[in-house]
Amino acid sequence: MNAPTSAVLRMDAVTRVHGEGATEVHALRSVSFGVHPGELVAVMGPSGSGKSTLLTLAGGLDSPTSGTVSVEGTDLEGLGAAGRARMRRTSIGYVFQDFNLIPALNAIENVALPLELDGVRTRTARAAARAALDEVGIGDLATRFPDHMSGGQQQRVAIARAVVGDRRLILADEPTGALDSDTGESILRLLRARCDAGAAGVLVTHEARHAAWADRVVFLRDGVVVDETGADSAEVLIDSGTPR
Amino acid sequence: MSRGTSWRLALRLARRDALRNRGRSILVLVMIALPVLAVTAADVVIQTQDVTGVESLDRRLGSADALVTVEAQGSPVVQFFDPYDGSGTVGDQGTGRPPTAEQVSAALGGARLVETHLGAVNVRTDDGVAIVDGTEVDLRDPLSRGLFDLTAGRWPTGPGEVVVNQALLDQGYARGDVLGLTDDGAPAPTIVGVAESAESRTYPVVAGPIGSLGIADREGDAGQPSWLAGGGPVSWDQVRTANALGATVLSRAVVTDPPPTSELPDEMQGWGGSSDDQMVAVIVLVVVMALLEVVLLAGPAFAVTARRQSRTLALMAATGGTPAQSRRVVIGGGMVLGTVAALAGVVLGIGAARLLLPVLQHWSNTWFGPFDVPWLHLLGIALFGLLSAVLAAVVPAWIASRQDVVAVLAGRRADKRPSLRSPILGVVLLGIGIAGSAYGATSSSSGEFAIAGSAVVAVIGMIFLVPIVVVGVARLAGRLPLSPRYAARDAARHRTRTVPAVAAVAATVAGVVALGIAVTSDEAQNRETYRAELPDGMGSVSAYADEAPVDWTQLRAAVAGKLPDAQLTPVRGIIESSTPDGPSYWLDIKAAGVEEPDRLLDSYGSSWGASTLVGESAMTNLPIDVPEGVRQEALRMLQSGGVVAFTDQGVQADELRLELHRWEADSEDESVERLSVPALMVPVALGNAGPQAILSTQAAKRLGAPVGVSGLLVSGPITRAQESAVSEALTATDTSSSFYVERGYQADNETVIIQLVLAALGGVLMLGGTLTATFLALSDARPDLATLAAVGASPRRRRWVAASYALVIGFVGAVLGAAVGFIPGIAVTYPLTNGYSEATAGHYLDVPWLMILGLVVALPLLTALIVGLTARSRLPLVSRLD
Amino acid sequence: MSVKQALLALLEEGPRYGYQLRAQFEQRTGSTWPLNVGQVYTTLTRLERDGLVVGAGADDEGHVVYRITDDGRDAVAAWFTTPVERTQPPRDELAIKLALAVTVPGVDVGAVIQQQRSATMSALQDYTRLKRQAEGGELSWSLVLDSLVFAAEAEIRWLDHCEARLRRAQIERPETLLDEILTEEADEEARR
Repeated sequence: MNAPTSAVLRMDAVTRVHGEGATEVHALRSVSFGVHPGELVAVMGPSGSGKSTLLTLAGGLDSPTSGTVSVEGTDLEGLGAAGRARMRRTSIGYVFQDFNLIPALNAIENVALPLELDGVRTRTARAAARAALDEVGIGDLATRFPDHMSGGQQQRVAIARAVVGDRRLILADEPTGALDSDTGESILRLLRARCDAGAAGVLVTHEARHAAWADRVVFLRDGVVVDETGADSAEVLIDSGTPR
Repeated sequence: MSRGTSWRLALRLARRDALRNRGRSILVLVMIALPVLAVTAADVVIQTQDVTGVESLDRRLGSADALVTVEAQGSPVVQFFDPYDGSGTVGDQGTGRPPTAEQVSAALGGARLVETHLGAVNVRTDDGVAIVDGTEVDLRDPLSRGLFDLTAGRWPTGPGEVVVNQALLDQGYARGDVLGLTDDGAPAPTIVGVAESAESRTYPVVAGPIGSLGIADREGDAGQPSWLAGGGPVSWDQVRTANALGATVLSRAVVTDPPPTSELPDEMQGWGGSSDDQMVAVIVLVVVMALLEVVLLAGPAFAVTARRQSRTLALMAATGGTPAQSRRVVIGGGMVLGTVAALAGVVLGIGAARLLLPVLQHWSNTWFGPFDVPWLHLLGIALFGLLSAVLAAVVPAWIASRQDVVAVLAGRRADKRPSLRSPILGVVLLGIGIAGSAYGATSSSSGEFAIAGSAVVAVIGMIFLVPIVVVGVARLAGRLPLSPRYAARDAARHRTRTVPAVAAVAATVAGVVALGIAVTSDEAQNRETYRAELPDGMGSVSAYADEAPVDWTQLRAAVAGKLPDAQLTPVRGIIESSTPDGPSYWLDIKAAGVEEPDRLLDSYGSSWGASTLVGESAMTNLPIDVPEGVRQEALRMLQSGGVVAFTDQGVQADELRLELHRWEADSEDESVERLSVPALMVPVALGNAGPQAILSTQAAKRLGAPVGVSGLLVSGPITRAQESAVSEALTATDTSSSFYVERGYQADNETVIIQLVLAALGGVLMLGGTLTATFLALSDARPDLATLAAVGASPRRRRWVAASYALVIGFVGAVLGAAVGFIPGIAVTYPLTNGYSEATAGHYLDVPWLMILGLVVALPLLTALIVGLTARSRLPLVSRLD
Repeated sequence: MSVKQALLALLEEGPRYGYQLRAQFEQRTGSTWPLNVGQVYTTLTRLERDGLVVGAGADDEGHVVYRITDDGRDAVAAWFTTPVERTQPPRDELAIKLALAVTVPGVDVGAVIQQQRSATMSALQDYTRLKRQAEGGELSWSLVLDSLVFAAEAEIRWLDHCEARLRRAQIERPETLLDEILTEEADEEARR
């Protein structure tokens, strides 16, 4: 395992149980897991294996029944709801399968959203959002509304939103699920590039082809990690730093 | 697919959807059921407390078959089936004498008659004198049974005994007391029982045998008997026979089972129909506005329903469903919810009325009738509820049936771009509304109806303009902070849900603003045209001779007893009528040789008991507001035997002609005494309420005018408590006397209450409209809120978004509504404040800015605050969980 | 894999000698299928016998240059327009291994699948890494890599599928598992 200090995301013995008694469902059972800067980790598993639960826990959208989730060394549970929200504005970026852009806001406003929510001045937020859009290659679509964009363009906006403001943990939930394979690949390439530039990424997918973009692949079955590839930490650390 | 099966499918889908989305369904149910409930309850209460026709027969007839009343001295009369609805004398050829009991009995086919006398009697009470309804009838006769209900004691057995109701006992009597009748020559009967009148609940009532109250002994018409008739049903023909004798008949048989209206006498045929058209117009307007409001309030819920179903509908279309079928699914929702809401509203309304009645009875002066459920009305009300639900679903249904199938299946959520047609239609309708209002403002008669009608047109026009206004607001929102920007944009994207909500708020505000302007302007007119009768704080006692000459010494003593420190100044003037049987006078003053204008004053009053004062003391002692120079001049004129006359017509004259007209009692003959005297003209402002002139004592004497004390001035200040104490003391002394204290213009309580009610109504409707739309929008915006949560919005953000939403809807609606409300509001002030006399002529416009500011600014902010505080602050989780 | 058609296709672009052909083949397929020179010359001889190529003499350095004949061009065209046939299931070691694993007692089939999947996943990661390095390079090479990526992915999916079937079968009737997997396999093939 990696040194705990360097991990951007750490999950220690995380268990999440939905419901009670007869309807009790163990979404995750004692999952331990870490993601380091410059590393992209894929989480694979069939439907119901707990992939999405893992991601909602990592982003502080949900709380574990037991175990701890810490981001950049801070225990999310100890932060409270408001603190977790701040964490999502400043440290964590989400990318969803169905993009989840807000249709009432145009591209640049969607990207500027986390900054604006954080109280950054509109002008500053927009400048940062513009830069992020340029980075994902659609700076010219800044004032378009999501309804007037293709799926790939929307997902690029979503990625720009996830990385704007120099956030170090990107949580992607089937980001290519709604895209054709070529467009999906370009999105993965973008994600990979962000991680190579120093971010830590978690990619939830059920497609091996997409998971292969990761440095490590974690297999989940019924809420349990059953296997891990590329888990050799030393190699991962060396690999992630050196261009190939 | 046949029409029937297709509807069945639509209704099944609608029912399932209604059950699945309980929250939204309940919202619609409440929106529609509440007005239905309120109207139902009101209708049932009104029908129950309104005792008409057949229901009222028992309390009016007791157990008798008819009540015969003599209206005139033998002149033939005509009447409706129920004489309460109208009766009158025709021609004047008659016997000249009232019909006797024998004649009446014969006319009614030999009916048995029980004599009864009805009249008001004055009864001494703890506080002074109360006017009490008196009935003289043999209470033990079977025919009178049912008129009174004995609750304690026994029925009177002789003319020295009476029964009274609890209301009279409450004024200071007990069983066994002697009833203090104050009328001259009235007997002093003993109270032997307590009996409640079948009709009056809180009004004092006394009843006893003939002669027990002295009503039968009264002279003239007052002593004329009525009869309860028994012995079999009285037919319409018998009624007509009695009519010919000069008696009106309330016949149980005729009222219960009236003959065709063609049987009515010709004189009665055309009566009462004149106001029907206006009444119908008012009812139609009220129903249309109410329908519009309910439709607008329920509209957003159906818009959301249609949107939620849009995928189903798109799939239906993709598999070959027709637009009509899509429409039916949404309208089916309206029918299902409308039916349930209407039925629930009616049932609950009846229940509410049942529970309310005992409470309301407590406040009412008369006994309510039997519990009365007007099923036909209720059917109409229920249909109204159903209709409003269906209408609310029509527009969303129409839009849903025209939706872009591809866009919906691709998951795009926005409404179509607004078409240009509806704003143009809106502008046209608004124009018609303005034109109609202008017409109503300038037209001479019933302009109010033209204005009310065009107000509805203007409001409908405004509804068509709401979409572009909402879109415009969204365009301007680019620079706003996140929450309002999101709210404005989202509102514009989902116009089918936003527009009805904004329109509901706007329609409410428009109505409130229009009525507010009307009420305040009316009030302004009242305030501006108010003329003080006395200097502020002063009081005056007046009395007229109704039975005997006024005893001013007694009245003075009565006032002095209550206000020992006040200075009392008697006012001397021409007593126009000193005794009921004596002659009466009228003094006409004309400028000699002046033809035009032919009067000196547009108006004058007699607040000091006389319209013409007499003597120098009037000028020195009375608060007549003239410059000191004029006062000296006037005194000189009065000393020299002249007259001081007031004019608001600018008449200039040195000499005036006085004409004293005199009539003897019971005589048409008139004698006139004329006199020309030197005069001083004193100009006064229009709207004068003071006397017309001050006569010198000499002139009055030469004219032979009866001069005496006409009133008593009481110096101030006088508190309200003192005022009522003096009033009571005066009434106890002389029932004709009255006490007036000048307190300047007093705003009518009603105006304030109306304004408060308007504001409250506006507030409630605005809150309702805003809350529905906001919470629907919030549930609609779940995915967006989930996204916001995921990118780090704090839970509080949901509250901000909710509050912004409420603000956008409330503010846009209020501004639009206020703007539209000004049109009929200003227009209606023209017919409303257009006075008839010269003094009150002119147009008054007073805009209640404070109320409008409250509606447009404070209320939306308050609503936003309430919404913000009540919105759940929990952001939804990302909805996609596998 | 038809080395014969591949060489003919290369010759269609112009006359080449044996070593050249081998170098070009390896370059275009990213050395995925190694080819020795002996194999190239054997194939060329066979092609010359069939009249699809002719020897065009030696070049300056003494290499024997071959040129394509008209019959050869027809053969290339026919090859490109005919889909690759899948009538004969390739002899897949993995399928056979699994089939045996489920029948032989004492073998942890789950572990076998897991191990295989990890290995395939690692390969897939390698291919993806190669793809990232090859970015902006030759399209032909990138397509070949894609083919490998998709094949590996298909294998992982098949392994996932096997695992799921295995779990279900453990609950139901273990004895028919082999039959089931084999029938499923046949069905899958037939569908392609």
